[in-house]
Amino acid sequence: MIEQVTTFESGNEMAALAAAQINYHLMGYFPITPSTEIAQLLDQMKARGEHDIVLIPADGEHGSAGICYGAAVMGARVLNATSANGLMYMLEQLPVQSGTRFPMVMNLVTRSISGPLDIRGDHSDLYFALNTGWVILTARTPQAVYDMNIMALKIAEHEDVRLPVIVAYDGFFTSHQKRKVQYFKDRQVVQAFIGERPTHFPNASDPRKPVTIGAHMNGDDLINNHYQQSEALYRAAHVFQQVAKEYAQWSGREYPLLDLYKMEDAEVALFLINSAAETAKDVVDQLRAKGIKAGVISPNIIRPFPSEAIRQACKHVKVLLVGERADSYGAHGGNMTHEIKSALKEDPYNQTIVLTRIFGLGGKDFYPDDAKEFFNIALRTLDKGFAEKPFDYFGHMPGDPQQKWEQVIEPMYGDAFKTGLIQVIEDKETKRLKVKLPPLRALTAKPKRLAPGHGACPGCGIFPALELFFKGIEGDVVVLFQTGCAYVVTTAYPYSSHKQTMIHNLFQNGPATLSGAVEAFFEMKRRGDIQVSDDVTFVMITGDGGMDIGMGSAIGTALRNHKLIMLEYDNEGYMNTGSQMSYSTPIGHMTSTTGVGKTQNGKAFHHKDTPQIMAATNIPYVFTATEAFPQDLIKKAAKAQWYAQHEGTAYGKLLITCPLNWKSEERYGEKIMKAAVDSCFFPLYEVERGKTTITYDPEEKNKRVPLQEWLKYMGKAKHLLKEENRELFASFEQEVERRWHRLKAMHEHPYL
Amino acid sequence: MSILPKTNELGFFEIRLESIGGLGANLAGKMLAEVGALGHGLNAANFSTYGSEKKGSPVKSYVRFCDEHVHIRDHSPIEQPHVIGIFHEALYKMVDVVSGLRPDGIVLVNSVRSAEHIRRDLRLSYGTLAVVDALGIAVEEKTKVNTAMLGALFRICHFLDPEKMKQVIRKTFEKKYPHLVEANIRTFERGYEEVRFYESEKPSVEEGKPFSRPYPLFGYETQTIGGVIVTNGNSVLKDLSGSRQGFLPKWEEKDCIHCAACDTVCPDFCFVWEEGEDRKGRKQMFLKGIDYQYCKGCLKCVEACPTNALTQYREQIGFAEAHTVKRMSV
Repeated sequence: MIEQVTTFESGNEMAALAAAQINYHLMGYFPITPSTEIAQLLDQMKARGEHDIVLIPADGEHGSAGICYGAAVMGARVLNATSANGLMYMLEQLPVQSGTRFPMVMNLVTRSISGPLDIRGDHSDLYFALNTGWVILTARTPQAVYDMNIMALKIAEHEDVRLPVIVAYDGFFTSHQKRKVQYFKDRQVVQAFIGERPTHFPNASDPRKPVTIGAHMNGDDLINNHYQQSEALYRAAHVFQQVAKEYAQWSGREYPLLDLYKMEDAEVALFLINSAAETAKDVVDQLRAKGIKAGVISPNIIRPFPSEAIRQACKHVKVLLVGERADSYGAHGGNMTHEIKSALKEDPYNQTIVLTRIFGLGGKDFYPDDAKEFFNIALRTLDKGFAEKPFDYFGHMPGDPQQKWEQVIEPMYGDAFKTGLIQVIEDKETKRLKVKLPPLRALTAKPKRLAPGHGACPGCGIFPALELFFKGIEGDVVVLFQTGCAYVVTTAYPYSSHKQTMIHNLFQNGPATLSGAVEAFFEMKRRGDIQVSDDVTFVMITGDGGMDIGMGSAIGTALRNHKLIMLEYDNEGYMNTGSQMSYSTPIGHMTSTTGVGKTQNGKAFHHKDTPQIMAATNIPYVFTATEAFPQDLIKKAAKAQWYAQHEGTAYGKLLITCPLNWKSEERYGEKIMKAAVDSCFFPLYEVERGKTTITYDPEEKNKRVPLQEWLKYMGKAKHLLKEENRELFASFEQEVERRWHRLKAMHEHPYL
Repeated sequence: MSILPKTNELGFFEIRLESIGGLGANLAGKMLAEVGALGHGLNAANFSTYGSEKKGSPVKSYVRFCDEHVHIRDHSPIEQPHVIGIFHEALYKMVDVVSGLRPDGIVLVNSVRSAEHIRRDLRLSYGTLAVVDALGIAVEEKTKVNTAMLGALFRICHFLDPEKMKQVIRKTFEKKYPHLVEANIRTFERGYEEVRFYESEKPSVEEGKPFSRPYPLFGYETQTIGGVIVTNGNSVLKDLSGSRQGFLPKWEEKDCIHCAACDTVCPDFCFVWEEGEDRKGRKQMFLKGIDYQYCKGCLKCVEACPTNALTQYREQIGFAEAHTVKRMSV
């Protein structure tokens, strides 16, 4: 046996370790819980110089799949990792990858797909992958995650297969639980096991051998292409067995098609994918001690589906309960139920009664007593001799009829949010708006739009900024929050911190969704279908990188110029998912995917200038603001409202502190914002009907401070002040200076 | 021969750590499990459960130990632990922290209070209570609460060798932060030495407190379809005072100029205002006080205050309740 080391790690750690040992050429990724750790861990290892994988943070999962496909057609070894809606967003790309037959490996860290949004584990994402033409391996334990990640690439590249492979394991249960695991001490062993990268299949890397990849076909040809693919996928079962056998010789760990636990003479059995099967094994032991012939079947591979092995395993099983962590709505059973039933149908002598129970959705825990109850259901069915209820959910509850929704605060609308204290007047000559504000003290009379009791971190900068903005907005609002911290901490079911109507949609689609809402609202109003006041203001709120993945939707909405406001709270990272870099992270700043170490120094490129991108769509109003300049922020909100009501789209960026991930003192939030403005990193300005105005010029006020004065507050940036990072700092400083000078020129010249 | 003092029916010795995000309980659980797994040949599992992963919200970290040949297959949270470690005393207001403790179990609490008071607030009538002033140690040594708690946990888990933990601490810090090595080792040792044990005066019980699994407020017959919430603003029912880590802002009315700078920077909408008349009889807004139910103790308001009306105050139990000002309307 080859030398292995024992360690104590989680599933995600083992996936990252395997990838580092394989030393893939490239990984394209986009952060999504609970798979994100893989990219983070690989970034850390890379900072330490432990592998050479090119890590590319994409603009969304669709982009990540594109990056991976591009690398795969080059003939490179490629890795991706995702979960839930990340898989859904890239779904279109998966059959492209398999249908054009370019191998790669993707870890699918399973999680419930929206909606409603739920970050924890079930198999609803996995079931969507079933029809993509990818090989799918299922890993029950952190050990299996490591082992299958190594086997996966060998299977994918095998000449009889040439297909991409998913390694699926349970989000949190397997991805985050630490267990004792073994790995090969020497990564060359791993590389030797997988073997040399096959180079004799066509790819795009050799100009001497030009190829056309992705020609379109008609049905006469497509059916032949798909037949090839179908055959290749079936062959993958045999290749899996071969590879697993060889792997067992190297590692001592075996992976048959089906993991069968005490199935030799089992009369009642459970079929469970992944971690739940492990829990059920303990219960089997208890039942066996009582003389009950119980067993558990759990697949190691579900694409291709091991039909023959299922038939063999169920030969003597009288009742099989298929526990499924996802439904196939309306199909009288989840996907596994139907595949098992159709496998058994091929055996004319099979008498097994098959039951389905949909359980453990959204990460709902599966306790040993749940497994016991599954067996009880199977045993009762055995007694009866038929299935009383073949299909049902498990663990759902009707709820206490006495428990009513209680209105804790009276709904607030209309005049409740009209103070009359804020006046916006259009200057007909200059074509600009003038705003009159009372002192902040007077505005404390205006109720806040959000209720206290939200779950943000202490010192969170989002809420002061949002409330200052809303102070400038008079009358009713409909808000849409894209996924992000502000959404997550204000809407944990069944609690809401929103006083007025709040709509959520996923990370990349807020602007489009709100544009539909606003147009429908006014059309229904025009037709007289709804009787409401027409001064409702529509506000889309995004942050945590939402202007990366949602950029297309934002630009489309701006170009259509709907009457709404897009408001971005910029915390310079994907803070909601654990501080991964976003395109607005400044250069050199440390995040969980741009580590600081031997071989790299934080983020590699400059921060995105979103206000300028939005200004280029020629919407009537663009602004920047921050809580450290409250009057300035409120005025801009009032202007944004005026434009959203009279002309079209307004966009605003609010810089905010994230003490947790900026590694700054909670209490200094406002000071940090002030330094960001006074150092000209974040100039306060507006672009009103195309005319740029700097609304606060620190130079004019004699308040300008060096960039260091801002950076010194933040643990994520302190290293930039060190002597050895002088060049990096200078590059940052120059970029800040360049953008500031450009802005000043725009301020001075009406046509810039 | 097993080194574990006791085990449950599946062969596990189980530990549950109760904390709020940011105190390092997850890391403590991980280190504890790692020493058992890699240093003592035990089999082990470690994982955590948390809300939406925000700092200051309740988290639990779990450690399962068993002998090397025993499989760990159960993935579910630990409901009946042998040891419970409470990193943040005020948590008992939000979470039933001692739920499911075994009859002969041990509860470790980070506290400076008397055993009697702790037992009363935790409603803990049986088992052994262990108390350590982990916060005090951490403040004195300029280190973290979790290291002091780890020291005390190693004393409780006497089957684990504290020297092995010290090696881990040394290894963790010596490369990047060599100046922190000694302080952290001292913190660990002090936690180990300074923890005090108080047996229950009551005779031993047959059964521990049953674990109560939290059930959802609504079911499939009572949820509004589509997951829609129709009671906007009901988060006002939440009590977030357990998120504070020792400090809160204290307000002196006489020094206040009612400028609203505090209100502008407060992330949690804690400042309560009311309309009144100024000396000239004009209508004006006046700050009435702080609603501490929502205050997470970030102290941004203290920084923003242009006078001395708001100051930082080391929270004493009962202060917030006595000084909180509830708003008339939300």
